[in-house]
Amino acid sequence: MSVSLPFLGYGLGLRSTYYQQILEQSPDVDWFEVVSENFMVQGGKALYYLDAIAERYPLVMHGVSLSIGGPHALDPDYLNQLKQLAERVRPAWISDHLCWSRGNAHQLHDLLPLPYTEESLDYIAARVMQVQDILQRPLVLENVSSYVRVASDDFTEWEFLAALSRESGCELLLDVNNVYVSSRNHGFDPWAFISSLPIDKVRQLHLAGHSDYGDYVIDTHDHPVSDPVWALYQRSLEHFGPVATLLERDDHFPPFDELLDELQKARELGNKVLAGRQQCA
Amino acid sequence: MRLKEWQLAFETFLLDEDRSANLSLGKSLIGGPTLDVGTGLAIYHNAYKARLLEVLRNDFPTILHWLGDEEFDDLAMAYIRRYPSAHYSLRWLGKGFEGFVREHLVPEQSAPLAELIALEWAFTLAFDAPADEPLTIDAVAALAPEEWPELRVKAVPSLQWLGCRFNSLALWRSVKEKADFPESMALDIPQACLIWRNQLICSYRSLDSAQATALDGLVNQGWSFAELCAELAVTYGEGAPLQAVTWLKQWIQEGLLVRLQR
Repeated sequence: MSVSLPFLGYGLGLRSTYYQQILEQSPDVDWFEVVSENFMVQGGKALYYLDAIAERYPLVMHGVSLSIGGPHALDPDYLNQLKQLAERVRPAWISDHLCWSRGNAHQLHDLLPLPYTEESLDYIAARVMQVQDILQRPLVLENVSSYVRVASDDFTEWEFLAALSRESGCELLLDVNNVYVSSRNHGFDPWAFISSLPIDKVRQLHLAGHSDYGDYVIDTHDHPVSDPVWALYQRSLEHFGPVATLLERDDHFPPFDELLDELQKARELGNKVLAGRQQCA
Repeated sequence: MRLKEWQLAFETFLLDEDRSANLSLGKSLIGGPTLDVGTGLAIYHNAYKARLLEVLRNDFPTILHWLGDEEFDDLAMAYIRRYPSAHYSLRWLGKGFEGFVREHLVPEQSAPLAELIALEWAFTLAFDAPADEPLTIDAVAALAPEEWPELRVKAVPSLQWLGCRFNSLALWRSVKEKADFPESMALDIPQACLIWRNQLICSYRSLDSAQATALDGLVNQGWSFAELCAELAVTYGEGAPLQAVTWLKQWIQEGLLVRLQR
């Protein structure tokens, strides 16, 4: 299977807790993913460290506020800031989430679920194309964790992602943890989700931890990656081949070395799987 | 339900204090094998509240310390319900908190609290304000004698200027230094407080009214150095230029000033 998208290797989410250690230790991390909104400021520490780290590592921009499926018009101020930041950072790509985070009147600051209907598909595909015209590059969209589903859906989430990519040309960020979380909450086969995505459109993978409450799972990003998610990750690499992998941690930050060890685990798993794939080929 | 109609119902549910969803929203959803719709919706409702409260707790640690968890959360949620977030970045969530407290509480309660909120907010503004090229001692030392009278400066963009009627700075400092929390009290003489960022570090200090007037004249009223000396002569007589140079040197060393080019 040919893979046309560039492979960036194994990266970490850039968080302020680790800024200083990154500059002092130059850790063995292939790239960093930055939360775009954290750097939409005019000065201070965040931009200082962003510039310093951008000189040493490739960066990818990952937003949380585009609200691509929201009921409002796309925010020109936000898009302008995003574009300006991209000019500063020169990211390998720009991603956000397939969700809505802003309502009719207010910012809701969450990655809210969407109905997967024909109406949503037409509406969102048009907005993705609008954003891509402004950013002059494909938008990369991530699947989110969800805790309710809409009864009148026309598509499964994975069918919707594939259709949206086909209609709009957007690429996909497959969050393996989010697939696992949603599969537990909604009772679907996570591999049915992953294996249905268009191979040539999956630009990046996310790995993260969650909180398991037995009856349901919440995507908290405050734990190490769980064993079932590692297993799905391995299977994803076997299926997709080399895809840039990002380890996310947003709370209960461990010592930096522990996070680097977890990233190393992903790298070793990736090396093993990808070497095996080459032998088979 | 059409997409936008459904989203409006979801938004209304999130913003409402009551966690029970309206009937049509609940009916539009399905749960999973062990996650029912009510629990699923409650996860979103809790997450909305928790995320916004966490931002305000981080931005206003002294207020949190003063009020305690429960009272802080009640006040912060009342603020969020009254003024839901309007900016895509949570960085701006606390912008209207001071104003809300002033309008929400009786003046005896609100005045010291609002002043402390303004102080903590000023630190956030200084933290990520644009940088500029601060005036240096070397630069003024290199001025030709004829350049001195017309020397004009402005404040660095990060400079926040607060008039304090209460001991807000002492309260703030005690939490920062993990020291005993003093009782809130009115100051005998109101004082100005400066908060700014020098390179990457936020600094603060209070200043007496004579110095505040001089600095205000220089950075806000457009005085030249000669005009500053003239103003100071009223109080300091022949010592005015020396006093002006002493303060100017201090303000430059603190990184407060940017030269205005003619």
